[in-house]
Amino acid sequence: MKQEEATKVYLDGKLLTSVNDPKSFANEIRQNRRNGLLPNEVNIVYLKSINEVHINSDRGRVRKPYIIVENGKSRLNDELKQKIKAKEIDFNYLIRKGIIEYLDAEEEENIYAALDEKSITKHTTHLEIDPASNLGLTINASVFPEYNSIGRHPISANFMKQSQGMYLSNFNNRYDARAFVLYYPQMPLINSTAFRSLNLKKYSNGQNFVVALTTYYGFNMADAIVMNKSSIDRGLGRSVFFRSYNDEERRYPGEQKDHFKVPAPTTEGYLGENAYSKLGDDGLIEKELDINEGDVLIGKVSPPRFLEEQTSFDVGEERSRDNSVVLRSGEQGIVDNVMLTETSGATKLVKVKIRSIKVPQIGDKFASRHGQKGVVSLLLPQEDMPFSSNGIIPDLLLNPHSLPSRMTFGHMLEMLGGKAAALSGQYFDGTPFSSNGKERIEEYSKILGDFNFDKLGDEELYDGRTGKKFHAKIFQGVVYYNRLWHMVSLKLQVRSRGPVQILTHQPTEGKPRKGGLKFGELERDALVGHGASLLIKDRMLEQSDKSEIWVCKECGDIGYYDYIKRVPICLACNSTNNIEKVEISYAFKLLLDELKSLHVFPKLNINE
Amino acid sequence: MSEESKKNKFNVQPGEAVGIIAAQSIGEPGTQFVLRVFHSAGVLSLVSTKGLPRLIELIDARKKPKSPAMTIYLEKNISKSFDDAAKILKKIEKIKVSDLISDFSEDLEAKTLVLNLNKDKLEQYKVTEKSVFNKLSKNTNITVSELENNKLKVKLKKIKKLKQPKNKKSDNKEAKNDQEEKEFSTKATRVAFVDLLNLIIFGIPKIDKAVLKENNENEFYIVTSGSNLEEVIKLEGVDKSRCYCNDPFEVLNIYGVEAARNTILNEIKTVLDEENITVSVRHMSLLADTMTFYGLIKSVGRKGIAGKKESVFARAAYEETVKHFINAAVFGEEDKLRGVAENILIGKQIQVGTGRVKLVIKNSDLKKLREKPKPAN
Repeated sequence: MKQEEATKVYLDGKLLTSVNDPKSFANEIRQNRRNGLLPNEVNIVYLKSINEVHINSDRGRVRKPYIIVENGKSRLNDELKQKIKAKEIDFNYLIRKGIIEYLDAEEEENIYAALDEKSITKHTTHLEIDPASNLGLTINASVFPEYNSIGRHPISANFMKQSQGMYLSNFNNRYDARAFVLYYPQMPLINSTAFRSLNLKKYSNGQNFVVALTTYYGFNMADAIVMNKSSIDRGLGRSVFFRSYNDEERRYPGEQKDHFKVPAPTTEGYLGENAYSKLGDDGLIEKELDINEGDVLIGKVSPPRFLEEQTSFDVGEERSRDNSVVLRSGEQGIVDNVMLTETSGATKLVKVKIRSIKVPQIGDKFASRHGQKGVVSLLLPQEDMPFSSNGIIPDLLLNPHSLPSRMTFGHMLEMLGGKAAALSGQYFDGTPFSSNGKERIEEYSKILGDFNFDKLGDEELYDGRTGKKFHAKIFQGVVYYNRLWHMVSLKLQVRSRGPVQILTHQPTEGKPRKGGLKFGELERDALVGHGASLLIKDRMLEQSDKSEIWVCKECGDIGYYDYIKRVPICLACNSTNNIEKVEISYAFKLLLDELKSLHVFPKLNINE
Repeated sequence: MSEESKKNKFNVQPGEAVGIIAAQSIGEPGTQFVLRVFHSAGVLSLVSTKGLPRLIELIDARKKPKSPAMTIYLEKNISKSFDDAAKILKKIEKIKVSDLISDFSEDLEAKTLVLNLNKDKLEQYKVTEKSVFNKLSKNTNITVSELENNKLKVKLKKIKKLKQPKNKKSDNKEAKNDQEEKEFSTKATRVAFVDLLNLIIFGIPKIDKAVLKENNENEFYIVTSGSNLEEVIKLEGVDKSRCYCNDPFEVLNIYGVEAARNTILNEIKTVLDEENITVSVRHMSLLADTMTFYGLIKSVGRKGIAGKKESVFARAAYEETVKHFINAAVFGEEDKLRGVAENILIGKQIQVGTGRVKLVIKNSDLKKLREKPKPAN
């Protein structure tokens, strides 16, 4: 017969001992923890599948509080609830008394937790403090997530993280590398318990938009949105963008250091007089100046990169290199603040904050709290927007096709609730799992009916262009929208000609370097497949690294053009005759050079 | 439309980049392959590699396919008779010793094995006791003697030496060796017995399973898993002209390149058809042609066609750059710049499509030619 194996017990990952009855062992420790004999940080779990007991008491474990349930009854009884309401006891008391305990991820594996008190059975071991505690912080700050498809939750949480708003109230005194602040942040008409308890109304990140669920001449197809230009002119979605630049006077070996100053024209890498025109005498930019692309914000002069040979003993000016901080390409704004201070290494440190106003424009991104994003595709003056008979003009036209496939019913419920809230002048609660949907709709419908609106939020709208009434009634409501920090003005980039890489003479890559778009292998294959040979040549040579070299017809080596003697020369056979100009890609010349460096002599045979 | 112009309509234009188009036309649908292997459970369970693994196997020109298979057609005069077909099936299907016995007893000391032949099984496979005896007697390693009641006694004459596992160092080496030797000899006997039980006494080696099937024309044919084209076509009654094997290499050895080309084409087509992917035959036949035009089957890739490219640059640009440059330097190779990759590399117009055409004679030269008086005879 197989012998019962003893269960190994691990404390913080180290083998401690072994026990024969793991279940009662784990229970005993658990009881001791609940009775306060062991610190409440200790977590224990018996893993049946590998027959091991793990006790964890180390730091760094994420833990979550649960109410303990015993024999089908919550330890948090009515008496205690009364006491909590009367504020006689607090949360810590409940932990001390073993009514609520913190479980880590491992111990959580073996519990059977009920979402609410009603669903407790005799097998239940724990009870959630609130059904919403199953969700994360961001989703909890949202509303009606329980009516949305599960796949939309991570999306909406992501959007909320990207939203612009009042991220901190001391933003004026901070030098964040990048910051967005909404001009007129509003508190959402429908909010949740988490929203209120986190005091997010002070740091809200969106505005209540009047949204009509309708198409508009194809302008809001496929996640595009049409917005009311007049609303935007009145400040809807308007935000300010801060970007900080900083630089310090570094020290180099040999008593050398950087200097903040306006560089002299003799400086190596001088950017031209215009670039430095906005700098003050100290080499720093002045406050409240309008600045544009190419302007220098911090004038800085550094010592040369390599130590030079001392050729003569003349007392000429020390050679220096321009190391100024220039405004990022494609950006403009106003200098918000300049700060001069000192680093811990006692060198000068400068921070310059640039502010620019970002008015919503075509190409900016917005999203509601239900993972419904959209990119502005048209800004429509309010006279062209659809309007209702009582003069309400929507701020945003959302395409109804965005709803069925994504199953974000919460969005529609928020539209309805938002409308009721706006009409009745009160905030509504949308805490996850807090009440049932049917009751909610009835509640909102009643308010809408009281204000002589359609009970389900449908309204008769008129086409702003023709003045004719639309055939269908259109669902219109108020939704809390976030403006996300993906904005065209920070992304747009074009290039015709521009900087090239030193090594290959091919165009640079990426926006900060004014780069070109990659023409890759698959794109090349496609053109070959089309037989568009001249187009390939244009892309791969003319618009890239075309160069002219001189090739000696006799030895096949590469020569060069002597501009003094005005003749091409082949150094290999020391002749000036029989040398032809050839057009090749610079990358190929580089390849030939590299082969030569490997003692392989590639010869070029050229003929007509 | 006349036949001629109809034909011309489907011809490719001069300079069309057929290779790249073929590669893309097969490659793109290839991304849609279901990465799921179907396990069909049924009576005739002949499992075969399908889908992407099979396609890769074909294109990589693997010498040993995972699931070789054959379709054997019979000569027209006998193909409609079940009995004749079954006779041939019997010759093909392999029968092991263990298939025919009900049990056996072994004597390891005497090195004898007594096989108890099962009458029902003999009947089932339609073999006689005697033929089994004769087949076994041919084996020189054993002596066979007949006992009563369908029992065959087999005595081993020789035993193959087992490979000795490497010994760990030990002090009393000799003493241990003696012990081990004995052990090995009994072990070797066991192995020899097992080999004997697995001995194929009827049928063609390498063919694991053979099943008789009937097509729409009431013709019987044999489907096998495992292939041995060489042996099968030697059988009487097998139609050599219709015998099909899914291993291009076997076909290459027996029937030649053209047949191997057709096999590759056929197999690629089958794989794509099974996944309901429609690709024009032209692309697949171009692929099969390229794989076989060296006279043997070359894989697609650096060890096959791509490694055989004329241009140094094209080869170096693909894989094993250094190897190709070194070889080119050592042997003084010349790149004629006739392909696509090398021309893109140096920045020349590629000789494909619109770049295919060249100016043969300048307009001004043409005038000169016209002006020239015809030479007198």
